[in-house]
Order: sequence, then C-alpha cells, then structure tokens
Amino acid sequence: MSKDPGELFPKDSKKSYGLMELVKGTSPMVDKGPEDTVTSWPHLLILEVLASLGTMVLLLFMSVAWNAPLREFANPDVTENPSKAAWYFLNLQDLLLHMNPALAGVIIPTIVIVILMAIPYIDRSKADISIWFASQKGKAIATFAAVYTTIWLVALVLFDEYIQVKSFISEPEIIPAWIIPIIVISGLTGLLIMIIRRRWNPTKREMMVGLFSAFVTTYVVLLIVTLFFRGLGLHLVWPWNLPPGALPF
Amino acid sequence: MMPDINAILKIITRSQIWRSVFRQGYPNTDENRSKTIVNSWFLHIHPVKVRKHTLKVSYTWGMGFITFFLFMVLVVTGIYLMFFYAPSIERAYTDIQALETSITFGMLMRNMHRWAAHLMVISVFLHLCRVFFTGGYKRPREFNWVIGVILWVLTLVLSYTGYLLPWDQLAYWAVTVGTNIAGVTPLIGDQVRLILLGAMEAGPDALVRFYALHIALLPGVMTVLIGIHFWRIRKDGGLSNPDEITEDQTEGAA
Repeated sequence: MSKDPGELFPKDSKKSYGLMELVKGTSPMVDKGPEDTVTSWPHLLILEVLASLGTMVLLLFMSVAWNAPLREFANPDVTENPSKAAWYFLNLQDLLLHMNPALAGVIIPTIVIVILMAIPYIDRSKADISIWFASQKGKAIATFAAVYTTIWLVALVLFDEYIQVKSFISEPEIIPAWIIPIIVISGLTGLLIMIIRRRWNPTKREMMVGLFSAFVTTYVVLLIVTLFFRGLGLHLVWPWNLPPGALPF
Repeated sequence: MMPDINAILKIITRSQIWRSVFRQGYPNTDENRSKTIVNSWFLHIHPVKVRKHTLKVSYTWGMGFITFFLFMVLVVTGIYLMFFYAPSIERAYTDIQALETSITFGMLMRNMHRWAAHLMVISVFLHLCRVFFTGGYKRPREFNWVIGVILWVLTLVLSYTGYLLPWDQLAYWAVTVGTNIAGVTPLIGDQVRLILLGAMEAGPDALVRFYALHIALLPGVMTVLIGIHFWRIRKDGGLSNPDEITEDQTEGAA
C-alpha cells in the first residue's frame, strides 16, 4: 500500500537538490513519506493480550455462575412443551409459525446468505470505506430502518397470534402458506426502499446500510420474541409467565 | 553475597541454547520488534507494522480477534471433553453426568465449552455487523467477506451439531425440529434428512454423524477457512482504513 516516492516528493528538474528534513523517529526512512503506522509489538499484541484476558475472565465468571443445561435422558415419546431450538435459531423458528416450513426454514435463509455474500459485488464504491454507516445520512437511514422494521415485526407477530391470516383465507393452502408471506415480505421491503429513496435520496451504499439494518433488526427482534415471549404451544406470553424449562439454556 | 541477577540473565540469554530458540534480543528497538514478529511461528501472521487507525477499539471492537480466541478456547475445552465422552446412546448421557460429578474440572470445562460457543455465536455476528457498517467488505476484500459469511454459517452449524451430543431432551427435540426443517428442502429434502440422521429418526446413527461433524469435519474446514481469512487480511493490506477512500468514477446515486 506504500505510495510511489516520486509522487510524494516530486522532483524538480531545474534543481539539483532535493527537499529533506530531520524528523524524530525510531528507524531510518528511505524513500518513504510520513506514515501512520506503529510496530505490532507492542501496540497490537498488548491489545490482543488484553482482549484474551478480558474474554477469559468473562467466560470463567459465566462458567462458575451458571451450569450448562442437562435435561432428562432423550425420550422420543415425551415432547418438550414448548419445544424450542437452540436460541440462535429461534428467529427461524418464529418464521416457521407464519409460513410454509420450506419457505421459512430453507428458502429464506438461503436467499439471505446468498444476498449477504453478494453485497461487495453490488456496492463497489470506495468513497466511504471505513466510515461508520457511510455518512450522517446513512446513520439516519439505519436508525429509521431499525424502527420501521421493529414496528412492523411486532405488529405482524401480534396479528398472526390474535387474528391470523387463516381466519380470512385458509383455502387453498398455498395462499396463507406461500403467497401472503411472500407478498408481505417483499411488499414491506419495497416500501422501506421507497421511503428511504424519497426521503434521503441515498447512494447505493447508504441504501444498503438501511437494508442491512433492517436485516439485523429482523434477526434480533424475532429471536427475542421466540426466546422470551413464547410459552406453551409457542403462544405469546410475558417473559415472567414463561413455563419452567422454556428457556433453551 | 547476593548473586547478580543481571549477570545470570546475561549468561542465560547469551547462551547458544537460548539464542537458538529466540533469535533476536529483547524487542525494545525497531529492528528487534520486527524480528520478534517475523521470527516467531505464533506471531508471524501479524504484519511488522500496523496502521494506528486499525488499532482503535471503537473501529473494530476487537470482535474478530475475540471470535478467534473463543474458537481456540473451544478447541482446547472440546479436546478435554473428548477424553471422557463416547458418542453412543448407552454412554453419551451418563458420560455427561460423570463429567459433571466425578471428573476433575469436568463441570468447569463443559460450562466453558458451552458458554464459549454461545459467546462465539454472538461475537461472530457482531464482527459481521462491524465489517458491514464500516464498509470493510469493499475492494480488494470482497472475497474475504464471502469467506467471513461462510465462517458465520459454519459457527452456527458447529454449535448446532454440538447441541445433540449430551443426548438429553433439549438435544433430542432441537435436533428433531432442525432435521425436520432440513427435510422440507424442496426436491432433495428427504435425502438431506436421511444423510444427516443416518436413519428415519434421530437415534444412534445420528449421534455418531453429528459427533464426527462436530469434532472432525467442521472444525477442520473452519480452521482452513480461518487461515485463508487471516492470510487474505495481510494480502489485502491489513484492515480497511481511511487512506483507501477514493472518489467514485462510475457510481451514481442508487
């Protein structure tokens, strides 16, 4: 990544001498401009040691404070109620309640992973590299997308608990299981894109910051809903009314 | 008479044995600091110099490193657990009980393995978010981002395959639910489910398969990908930083 010395110190053909200066330093610098680096030892390594120690202390405290769970011996005849997956899959488990299992458990996660991998090939601008949320505008867009997504998710979860799509239309199966969920997901994403575009006139990067923010929000909110707000039969309850053993850890 | 500590240290550090192991002096000069990094197998993955910007905790949160550290903790505690665990229906559950009650440090090691796995699931996701929101995936780091996404998914799968091993109710039903979801994959669902379980239902075959995945195949793949991930960071000039900002020539408003 070092720059061409000729570019840093342009040579003047009319002069037989070059510009140089005495500066403080710890090693000789030949044909190099001023740079913003420090030696890895000790500057980087001390941070790694501190991070390791901090993580280890936290981990030891957790391991002394809480024991890893061990329930009764596996029994295919006794279903756990509520039967919850590992906590980091509970967002997917929540999707399962609202649509066809192939759509919720396989197709949507696959699409999400493929889109995540495609991000660098879609946003190729280098104008805002290393800047958090790309810009002040990006920050506002990310915040808006998070709030927008949270409100819609909570509304949809409540709707499917107390009113249910199936109370309007249950036949044929494909409508509540496939068509309505796909329309809702793409419709709300499209609406989000439209609002961001109208209100902020964003760059491609800022638009992606908004969409990624919506993804992270969906991931976290659905996880929290199923982890802390679903009891017997995966129906909604307050966290303090969860049946014993409802937390999968 | 008190022995002169410095004189003794000098004799030790100037001996041929010492100097055959540590080929440079104490790293208090730039030359020795460079040599400390490049001469050490453990440290040579680091560059000799790093940009100040990439050391800011507010920029990286240290999440990538913490994730790697947790992975190493998981390898160490995992190997410890392997000494006392057999992946069979007859033994798995009672082996875990023995770990908790009668094996030295068994409970501590099991707890650390479990909670480190949970922390790693969190830290790898925070790392993913950090890299996205600071634009760290941009050229020339596109493919390292792709590897990173794969590593995130692998972390989840590794954690999930470990979930079955205690063979308790929590494990059994989580795996039954999980493989049922895999079973509704369009076109190849039944085959996927059969490959994972080795039978029509979660049983002894599933336990052996999840064990092999958990302790051999997935950690092996993960180690290779982590190696590539780190190597590419070096090849791409370290972490993303403001010096790389260039004005767009082709990009317009979205």
